[in-house]
Amino acid sequence: MFIDFFYSLKDNGVPVSPTAFLTLHRALKTGLIRSLNDFYTAGRAILVKSERFFDRYDQIFAHAFEGAELPEMEGLELDEMARAMLEEWLQHPKELADALGIDEEQLQRLTPEELLEYFKERLKDQDGEHHGGNRWIGTGGTSPVGHSGYHPGGMRVGGVSRNKSAVKVALDRRYRDYSLSGPLRASMMNEALKRLRHLVPSGPRDQVNVDETIYQTMKNAGEIEIVFDRDLKDRLKVILAIDNGGWSMDPYVKMVQTLFDYARAQFKDLKTFFFHNTIYDALWKDPTRYKQPVRLEEFARYDPATRLILVGDASMAPYELMAREGSIYIQERSGDPSLRRLQMLAETFDKAVWLNPVPQARWNYTQTINVIGDIFPMFELSIDGIEAMVTHLTSKKP
Amino acid sequence: MTANPPAAFTGASRYVLDDELAAIVNISMALEMPLLLKGEPGTGKTMLAHAIAENLGMPLIVLNVKSSMKLVEALYQYDTLTRLNDSRFGDSQRDVSDIEAYIKMGKIGQAFVADTRTVLLIDEIDKADTDFQDDMLDVLDQMEFDIIEIDKTIQTRHRPVIIVTSNAKKDLSDPFLGRCNFHHIAFPDPKMMRKIIHVHFPDIDKALMDAAVETFYRLRELDSVEKRPATRELINWIRALRADPDFKPKNLSRGEVPFLGVLFKKSQDYQRASSVVHRRKLF
Repeated sequence: MFIDFFYSLKDNGVPVSPTAFLTLHRALKTGLIRSLNDFYTAGRAILVKSERFFDRYDQIFAHAFEGAELPEMEGLELDEMARAMLEEWLQHPKELADALGIDEEQLQRLTPEELLEYFKERLKDQDGEHHGGNRWIGTGGTSPVGHSGYHPGGMRVGGVSRNKSAVKVALDRRYRDYSLSGPLRASMMNEALKRLRHLVPSGPRDQVNVDETIYQTMKNAGEIEIVFDRDLKDRLKVILAIDNGGWSMDPYVKMVQTLFDYARAQFKDLKTFFFHNTIYDALWKDPTRYKQPVRLEEFARYDPATRLILVGDASMAPYELMAREGSIYIQERSGDPSLRRLQMLAETFDKAVWLNPVPQARWNYTQTINVIGDIFPMFELSIDGIEAMVTHLTSKKP
Repeated sequence: MTANPPAAFTGASRYVLDDELAAIVNISMALEMPLLLKGEPGTGKTMLAHAIAENLGMPLIVLNVKSSMKLVEALYQYDTLTRLNDSRFGDSQRDVSDIEAYIKMGKIGQAFVADTRTVLLIDEIDKADTDFQDDMLDVLDQMEFDIIEIDKTIQTRHRPVIIVTSNAKKDLSDPFLGRCNFHHIAFPDPKMMRKIIHVHFPDIDKALMDAAVETFYRLRELDSVEKRPATRELINWIRALRADPDFKPKNLSRGEVPFLGVLFKKSQDYQRASSVVHRRKLF
């Protein structure tokens, strides 16, 4: 029974074990499970062992028992679509506003993130009749929307409810915020911070504390009590360099900064710098990237044990990274391609990483991400990614 | 072992239970598997065990896990010092040659040898080393443990209802998770929260309840707050508001929020919250 359900959980990345599956059947035998609702709760408690998979479970449950669309691909495509629309909007605001039948002014007031959400909503609203009739889909070959294989008419969002409450519950996706994959959202800050808190070097308790040992031994009436201390180590120094150029990074800049600011107590020293797309001659101390440049050569003076964390989408035209005169700013002409500069940074610091808000699944589509990924170990800007980054940064081996 | 009638858990006088959690508790009891609870601090993980014990009339045994704890301490202790003392001075009733007289049961041991079915709460298991969980696997699987000193195996007389809580400081090991049922207590929605408040303050007046709940959820929405206030903070806060004779519920909707320190416990959070509250007061 329910073997298909079990395997679709497994195939979709929820770690389920056969033992748990058997337990579920034991539960079915107890007679306590009398409705789909009960089955939903019991199945979740027994099969899923972490709240980060609750969201996935909800989706698969809805899929298996009510035939709702398994939304994994849908989410991705909607994202892509919305992004494409955003690009379109940046180029031809007027046309897009007309096509959607909304006020251009109104759109202008939204932040990029709000715009994305708005477009997504609009996409969900689409139904068959509009297909093909919309200008933004028809604007010929310029828009990537056309070839992503998306058919608004063929898509069902949310599924149809037939008063099966468990499925309704599952479709509510209450646990979305606990799902740890996907780009970082403000609601996940707490979790992210918890991960970042692990960013402390710690050694084994292997130093005998003589004073404390004597005191405790006396207190113990002469019974020898040896007290060990943790080997004291310097706290970490961290340099944070954020790509704050262009709208693609906008939603993340503040989040990353707040995140590290909160964790500041953890570090001996935290310096924040800014760059646009990639690094040429200098990093800036001010977010406007104008007043306080710090030449890259200066960084050689920093303690090589400093952890360098670069945050950026690493997506740019290949020439910006590889050409000698690649910089989009005229004053940056040192003659070295940015690639060499990045390599220099990677060599200066023992531990340097790149955090990327672009979902890992899409990294392969961008050439520059791959190139930079060869220089710096790259991690996704998600809870899981941050966790992996912390493990990497605190590991002993170089 | 299922000699007891299948008792079902329905809630307790100081605990508001949602149906989902009730179902999970009952299933776990029927399967005799430990139930692992996770959730934000202050959402009532520990309270649940108290409520189960109260509702089913079972004695509650609480094991507060500490960071340096070894599993043996939770099972039993061999009191060598008393034995040494007895053997030197010999003025006690105990038989010094009988080691068993010097074995004291730890919390888990007590639950195992108890005469009735008990509720065993293992609180904040993530504080201890992973060794602690790994060592516990066998004990949970077999429901028995050995006392090495006297070469005796202790078996459960009545399988206790085991509730394990975790604050997710550390990830728990997979084999351990495999032996537990799992539930994540989500943060209650305003409607549920009203019920919870009502259980704690049966005589609360409606104006205060409305204003407090609304302000509380608005303050929870603040972003970039590290430790968001939870149910426990809200209840303490209401207690504080009620104790203050100068306080009127109307003040809250006007943007005067007293006792912010009860809600926000980290200094950065406190500053952020108070700056937001102040700004609202300006216009």
